[in-house]
Amino acid sequence: MENWTQRIFLVRALLAALIFTVSLPAFSADIDKPLIEPDVHPQVVDESLIDTENFEAGIFAGVIKIEDFESSFIYRARVAYHFSESLFFELNYALAEGGETSFEKLGNVQLLSDSDRDYRYYNFGVGYNVFPGEAFFTDNTAFNTNFYLVMGAGATEFAGDSRFTVNYGAGYQVLLTDWLSLHLTVREHVFDIDVLGETKTSFNTEVSSGISFFF
Amino acid sequence: MISLGLLVVLFVCAGHAYAEESLQVQVAEPFIEWRRGPAEGYPVIHVSERGEWLNLLIRKTQWMKVRDSQGREGWVSVDDLLLTKEGSGELVSLVEPRFDDFSTRRWEAGLMMGEFESTAVNAAYAGYWMTENLSAELWGSQVLGSASEILMVSVNILHQPFPEWRFSPFFTLGAGKTFIQPKATLVDESNRNEDTVHTGIGARFYITDRYFVRMEVKDYKVFTDRKTNEEATEWKIGLSVFF
Repeated sequence: MENWTQRIFLVRALLAALIFTVSLPAFSADIDKPLIEPDVHPQVVDESLIDTENFEAGIFAGVIKIEDFESSFIYRARVAYHFSESLFFELNYALAEGGETSFEKLGNVQLLSDSDRDYRYYNFGVGYNVFPGEAFFTDNTAFNTNFYLVMGAGATEFAGDSRFTVNYGAGYQVLLTDWLSLHLTVREHVFDIDVLGETKTSFNTEVSSGISFFF
Repeated sequence: MISLGLLVVLFVCAGHAYAEESLQVQVAEPFIEWRRGPAEGYPVIHVSERGEWLNLLIRKTQWMKVRDSQGREGWVSVDDLLLTKEGSGELVSLVEPRFDDFSTRRWEAGLMMGEFESTAVNAAYAGYWMTENLSAELWGSQVLGSASEILMVSVNILHQPFPEWRFSPFFTLGAGKTFIQPKATLVDESNRNEDTVHTGIGARFYITDRYFVRMEVKDYKVFTDRKTNEEATEWKIGLSVFF
């Protein structure tokens, strides 16, 4: 009896297995095909699609006091690269023109030719944003700001020669948008000059304002 | 002024373009802080919770500007974004230039300053790495002395024996031309052009991202048409970038 029952079950199990095996391909095809096909493609974050704005280019205009040679307008171009939120590297090139010394005015003599009065400098250096902040223009309008310190070295071409020049200063930056900002800077340019006889250290203060673009 | 206006228009257009097709990430950590500006010093203005989707707009240094579904905008640290998921459910991986790239890059350029025979020198250079160990460089320097201004152009070969070291020493050998202009205040001195050769040693130290500090000492031999040749020692330190 027991044997008989076993045989029935075995035959049925075998049959079931056979049917299952035969119908398996059909089944698996059904499983592969989801009921609803999603219309969404997984999006992978590709960093190259994100716009980075670490470079800054700006043009400045202001006044520079050239020691012994009056004050004059100065025009400056500046490129900066921001390494981090605080630290940046910058390159400057500027043009101005020296005036006359008191000696030249009173004695009616000319110490320098006109072309030697051209005042040009270049410098490169580092800067540091010390106080990031916000300026509130109205109740609802606030702009991000930075107060920064700069220090660098370069050369000044004036009175016929190029002279090694150290510069240091500070600036205030107002970011009108993420890519547009206004600057106000004060910088001291220091170099040794011997055009009036003995060598002396000349301090030249530049006050300039400018506009810069991030890209 | 017209070109400036055009530039402004272009920038505005660029500004609109990025808003259209922005990338999205989903916050995976319990929360992410937003700041008003791209620096640690700006105040926290908002917090995004786990599961929220953020649009990535622009990046400034280590900060990313994001916008949420309600149109709010703020700045999130890139380190925090590594804790968000992209559309596929994987954690976001933002690739930074690393030390590995430093040893496999081909081009480098830098600005340096120092002293040439105890007078100030400013210099710029560009170099191309032919192998891991060997590069060819082109230099331009301006020596600003109290008696003369010297412009130097030189080419040199540079060898670094241990490119895999973060602090990597090197040897260099080169030749060039110098143009010596005496000061305008000196009389009876005329411009001179001389040939030079030089040897040097130095080291490069990788800092971060794509930047490294480079320092070097070079010994110059200046071939003059006088009775004796001149020698000069120069040291410089500066900042370099690899591409």
